[in-house]
Amino acid sequence: MSVYKWLDERLDLDRLNKKFMRKAFPVHHSFFLGEITLFSFITLVLTGIFLTFGYEPSSRLVKHAGEQLPAAYVSVLYIDSLPFGRVLRSAHHWAAHIMVAAAFLHMLRILISGAYKKPREINWLLGLLLLGATVVTAFVGYSLPYDAFSVTATQIGYGIGKSIPYVGDWIAQVMFGGEYPTLHSIPRLYALHVLWLPLLLMALIGLHMLIMIKQKHTQPKYAEEVAPGKILGVPMAPMQLSVMTLLFLLYLGVLFILAGAIIAHPVEVYGPPTTATPALKPDWYFLWIYGILQIIPSSWKVPLPFGAEITSEFIGGVLIPGILGLVALLLPFLDNRKTKMRYVELPSHHPMRTSVTVGLLFFFFVATFAGWKQELHLTNGVLWMMLIFVPLAAWFVTYVLMRQIYGPKE
Amino acid sequence: MADKTDTTRRAILQASLGAGLGLAGLSALWVAGGLKPKKEVTPESEPPKAGDRFVVAQGPDKGKLITAEMLPLEGPFVLAWPKDPKTGVVKNAERNNLAMLIRFNPDEYDEKTRRYTDRGVAAFSAICTHLGCTVSQWIADKKVFLCPCHKGQYDPRHGAQVIGGPPPRPLPMLPVKVENGEVVAAGGFLSPVGPMAGFALPRSEG
Repeated sequence: MSVYKWLDERLDLDRLNKKFMRKAFPVHHSFFLGEITLFSFITLVLTGIFLTFGYEPSSRLVKHAGEQLPAAYVSVLYIDSLPFGRVLRSAHHWAAHIMVAAAFLHMLRILISGAYKKPREINWLLGLLLLGATVVTAFVGYSLPYDAFSVTATQIGYGIGKSIPYVGDWIAQVMFGGEYPTLHSIPRLYALHVLWLPLLLMALIGLHMLIMIKQKHTQPKYAEEVAPGKILGVPMAPMQLSVMTLLFLLYLGVLFILAGAIIAHPVEVYGPPTTATPALKPDWYFLWIYGILQIIPSSWKVPLPFGAEITSEFIGGVLIPGILGLVALLLPFLDNRKTKMRYVELPSHHPMRTSVTVGLLFFFFVATFAGWKQELHLTNGVLWMMLIFVPLAAWFVTYVLMRQIYGPKE
Repeated sequence: MADKTDTTRRAILQASLGAGLGLAGLSALWVAGGLKPKKEVTPESEPPKAGDRFVVAQGPDKGKLITAEMLPLEGPFVLAWPKDPKTGVVKNAERNNLAMLIRFNPDEYDEKTRRYTDRGVAAFSAICTHLGCTVSQWIADKKVFLCPCHKGQYDPRHGAQVIGGPPPRPLPMLPVKVENGEVVAAGGFLSPVGPMAGFALPRSEG
């Protein structure tokens, strides 16, 4: 290995190897969720690079097959016509779905195993920021094809931003390039989607992982019995890296089968933007907000000084998600433990925390369900009752069952 | 003595540093202000005004001048762009100009609404006051407008007031007249169109 030797003489690779590549990775299947999030990000960057080469960030009308169509829309048709272009674009979209889902499940794993506690509060906060930035990047991403779906969804995002008292108009106009849609909108959203938000994500991911290496993983519960007081796990190189490579290849395999079998966001099905608004539902991770927006009646208004007003769209689109986010941000600081946490806590030993999490999940499910209000002919009254009592019941039943099954230990 | 000089020097340095940072911050605000694009008004994006005619906004009749007879009695509505009859410019570059024209028997409107109609023809903004979608659907059995996005419902016979769903206020009306059978705007929209900013100055009209 003369290349290795040559590099080692200059870069002291042996030291690097000892310091970082021997990092112990605990072995537990639930610990792969963060890695899947990372794989998705890498895949998104790579497929995204391909897309930037064919995409034209402009909503100006150009002539295409005898029709006046937005340049962005036409360029997406062009990308779709390239060899594997449509599959790569679909894979980009699917990877975004998987990234949001994996990041959320990763957060749930941290939550129910108590891993957010001291000393890992900072990484919990960074993780929440990452989840938020991921969702925002995904949202900005689906404004870019500039078809009827994309324009409608972005329009709604613009309206939600605008509804923030006092500063909303300014924030929304800066983000969306004026009163959406304008000719400034697509260049600005494009810059956010391919440059600034990915840079932010990269910086946050880097910090998140540096801190994880510095603080070490929480150890799985079995490590406490097998080797108390010791760090248990497989070294990053070669074992964890081999597993990661395999998992990444498996990930890519599944992703491309999905992406090829089900083409995500087929622009020609939605068609170019129309004067009328098509009836559509947002991507699954926004459905709960979509549901809540529908069941907030127009009478929910609170006047504020200087002519501002808290309106139904602000309550549903900003206030309720904002309160949930704030509670999540404050969560690690509710815990006043003195010692550093070393081992994960078993969800079964913490019936209160686990059952409240189950209740919150049911809140998301019921809010999502409310998005079908019109199709199911349900009234606001019924849906509000469900939104309040189903999560409460889920929490209560889970709590009682857990106490029955696992006994009263805490 | 040396101490005192040091303190003075430090104070001066700190003060100039503070002043420099403050000025830099203020000038950065000037730059940040430019991030909000200026609104450019062209003849195509001017708001509707008295005397404007209307043309069909979509479908096979797109671009056709709207007469009262073209509007089916009791709905559904027709989506329309205002058109300046003098210049012939269709004002379709600004989404907020989109209007819904509808016709009922005049006595079906409540009194306040009827004031802005003529021969049963009424015009409303087509931009939902909730989150800015186009109010695109018509519920025939209730005779109300339906926004497909979050299912807001507006009753055209009562000033497009909200009768279901989340919109915070009624759709703005646009007063119309019927001249030689053609539908003609008798003024601009009576209240601000579309979702209202979280901070809005007191409205001058409506």
